Amino acid sequence: MSKISCDHCNLEFDEKVMIEDEIDGEKKYFCCKGCQGVYHLLKEEGLDSFYDKLGSTKLQPAVKKEDDLKKFDLEGFIKKYVKVRDDGLYEINLIIEGIHCAACVWLNEKVLHQTPGVIEATINYTNNKAKIVWDPEEIKLSKIIETIRSIGYNAYPYDPKLQEERAVKQRREYYARILVAVFATMNIMWIAIAQYVGLFTGMRRDIKDILNFAEFVLATPTLFYSGWVYYRSAYYGLKHRFVNMDLLVATGATLAYIYSVYAMITRTGEVYFDSVTMIVTFILVGKYLEVLSKKQAVDTLDSILGTIPTEVTVVKENEKALVMVENVEPGDIIEIKPGEKVVIDGVIINGSASFDESSLTGESEPVFKKEGDEVLSGSICIDGVVRYRAKKDFSASLLSNIVSLLEDSITKKPKIERLVNQISGYFSVTILSIAFLTFIGWYFYAGEFEKALIVAISVVVIACPCALGLATPMATLVGIGIAAKRGLLFKEAAFLETMAKSDMLVLDKTGTITEGKPSVITYEKLKDFDESIVLELVKNSNHPISKGVERFIVEKMVRGEGDKGVRWQGDKGVRWQGVKEGRSEDEYFRTHTHTHTSILKVEKFKEIKAKGMIAKIGGKRVLGGNIELLKEFGIDVEIESENSIFLVAIENELVAVFELSDKIKEGAAEAISKIKELGIRVVMLTGDNEKVAKKVADTLGIEEFYAKLLPQDKSAYIDKFHKDGHIIVMAGDGINDSIALARSDIAIAMGSGADVAISVSDIVLLDEKPKSIYEAYKISRRTFKAVKENLALSLIYNTFAVPVAVMGFVNPLVAAISMSLSSLLVVGNSFRIKLSDK
Amino acid sequence: MSAGIIAMMLGISTLLGALGLAALLWGLRTGQFDDTSKFLDGARFDGEEELKDAVMMEEKRKKALEKRRKDKRVMPD
Repeated sequence: MSKISCDHCNLEFDEKVMIEDEIDGEKKYFCCKGCQGVYHLLKEEGLDSFYDKLGSTKLQPAVKKEDDLKKFDLEGFIKKYVKVRDDGLYEINLIIEGIHCAACVWLNEKVLHQTPGVIEATINYTNNKAKIVWDPEEIKLSKIIETIRSIGYNAYPYDPKLQEERAVKQRREYYARILVAVFATMNIMWIAIAQYVGLFTGMRRDIKDILNFAEFVLATPTLFYSGWVYYRSAYYGLKHRFVNMDLLVATGATLAYIYSVYAMITRTGEVYFDSVTMIVTFILVGKYLEVLSKKQAVDTLDSILGTIPTEVTVVKENEKALVMVENVEPGDIIEIKPGEKVVIDGVIINGSASFDESSLTGESEPVFKKEGDEVLSGSICIDGVVRYRAKKDFSASLLSNIVSLLEDSITKKPKIERLVNQISGYFSVTILSIAFLTFIGWYFYAGEFEKALIVAISVVVIACPCALGLATPMATLVGIGIAAKRGLLFKEAAFLETMAKSDMLVLDKTGTITEGKPSVITYEKLKDFDESIVLELVKNSNHPISKGVERFIVEKMVRGEGDKGVRWQGDKGVRWQGVKEGRSEDEYFRTHTHTHTSILKVEKFKEIKAKGMIAKIGGKRVLGGNIELLKEFGIDVEIESENSIFLVAIENELVAVFELSDKIKEGAAEAISKIKELGIRVVMLTGDNEKVAKKVADTLGIEEFYAKLLPQDKSAYIDKFHKDGHIIVMAGDGINDSIALARSDIAIAMGSGADVAISVSDIVLLDEKPKSIYEAYKISRRTFKAVKENLALSLIYNTFAVPVAVMGFVNPLVAAISMSLSSLLVVGNSFRIKLSDK
Repeated sequence: MSAGIIAMMLGISTLLGALGLAALLWGLRTGQFDDTSKFLDGARFDGEEELKDAVMMEEKRKKALEKRRKDKRVMPD
């Protein structure tokens, strides 16, 4: 069967499953209705030059989203995300989903530009973020979103005031300062070379004056603009009564500058403008390296707040109304539909449904709730419509409590003092006192104020905090680079050092050391039947057990072990495509499972809460679920297992038994034993029950574990361990871990974990393997060793250089050479981390 | 070489360099380097059409603001 590519998204599929269409006498093929619709739309709007720009880039198929657009015009939403500008126009920041190439950016901008009422639309290709300004009197936001969706993309809002916006600003500021500093240093160096040569060959006084003046012009903005950060930091340091390295840099550079200006005006002695710019530039680069990898911890809350609905449906006298969550009072009756998140705690008065409480307990298995049961905010309704009576108002509900706890934890996050800060404090004090004593000594010895001042300044200059300033950033940058290559993202350089000092590892169970979702461990086929019937059945349900079975069958088919009925070729083709493109399985499922219609027809699908589902597939009645479901339909089954069981019956006959359980991740036991070998205490904290926890802990060789913990309990344990004097690394993945994560010294989150967990974390494991935690320990320890070596190197250098300077043997040339040499040593040593890594 | 020439050469070259630096800083401040790919794509794709678009957007903005001003003037309060 030949494969052809979709004329919109360029993905390749079998010809059989394609939709044929004739446009302007030309045959076109589309993989789905969505793509076809977009193609027609672009053609009509005269935007089909998009396809020329697109070339052979593959897009995501245009999925029609039936999401409610109404929410974008709700008061609460506008209040939260839309900025009203001074001129009365509205502004919003959106993230556009589905952008693959420059042509996508072009198309989106073009379409938005043509939309009446849109005043400005700019999309950043690098991060897919868009800024849109519109006239609220002419167009509604929902219409704008609809326009974006109509061409096959999706948009959702984000709040730019938080998050990286601030980080970006800081980075940009540093970058500008560095640009000025580097420009001045480069120019000063070639003037300085002329000056150095002049030391040997002699130079006319008037030429020297000109060169001095040129250096002065270049050094001034460097010191006062680029070097402003040192003055600022030195000031804050002094205000809090401690001496930091920035004070040393600021004093050294300022003294050298003032002296040089004096020397230039009085036309006596040598100028040190080149040293001023060198110091400022070198250390600024070191600081910039650290700023580069900095994260903003406080913003995390906004991502959890972003998931909280702003309105709920309140039923009053049989009339439904959307009410802002803040205005809901205890006693109000709230209606909740499938897919909605509970924001206010309450008790069910009508209906029943399964609730996903994973954000509270970490367990993916839904909990069935009926009349009289309590619903907790933070859980998500999976099936069924439920009415419940609010027990508390919004601010007293569990979800708000978690948010405020989290807020509290982030500000209380312990700070491990960094080695370089400890050393640089002493170092600065020592050097400044030596310089002062040198000045006094020389003043009495030589009786000359000027000579004494020069020598004292040369002590400060040659002590060269450059090497010390670069010691940590250089090493950590190399460390972060190696870690990133292995899928370990350190959000801040300083975390390497804290991690290296850690002596305790706290692990969450579900999702961290286990897969976090039920997987099929045994499969028994009792009768011969078409497995695709089961696939069709489970595809219709969002229950984790159904998803587990679905994954199992699809994987089986991909491996070629499944029933190779022709009817599956279509979907199989798609699946291979997804695998080939290196997209994750989950992503694949999201984009494809429901867009491509299969040939087996599913009718009368019905989910039976907490039991399973029933449907007519290909004319046969198919049951899928647990033992209770089958018993309800009169099929007698006797199976005992401590794991979840999924049974399939076709026409009242049991045909297959699936046993599912949460699998322990590959290599977990080995990783944990290796971590223990490093001398680290390993503890497991879980929201799951004692029995399961014990089983997992025994398998992995974890002696210490605590079960049945709520989010707050986990963080209480972290606090307890802190009191015992431990430096704690915690690994977790869910919202339920986030408070504990925020309280630990180093938080490791799984790449696919909850957004909140990722944003409070310090390290993100992209591959989610327990072995990566061990790698993180290894890399950080190696890097910290290099930091210590670097610090030692620069201190050794100083013990030689400073006495020479005190004796008054240092001229500008010697100072410049030795300064660069010490910095080079540090840089060179840092790169050794890379070598030893192999 | 006379001191005057050296001074002139140094002065002019530093000034030129500083101009370049100023341009770079201006570009950085106005966010022109925030999206590297767009920066390059502009050169690859933008033509007359895009220019017209930009003018159209400019006019749209002016009109919207004009309208708002008028509305305000009409209302006496």
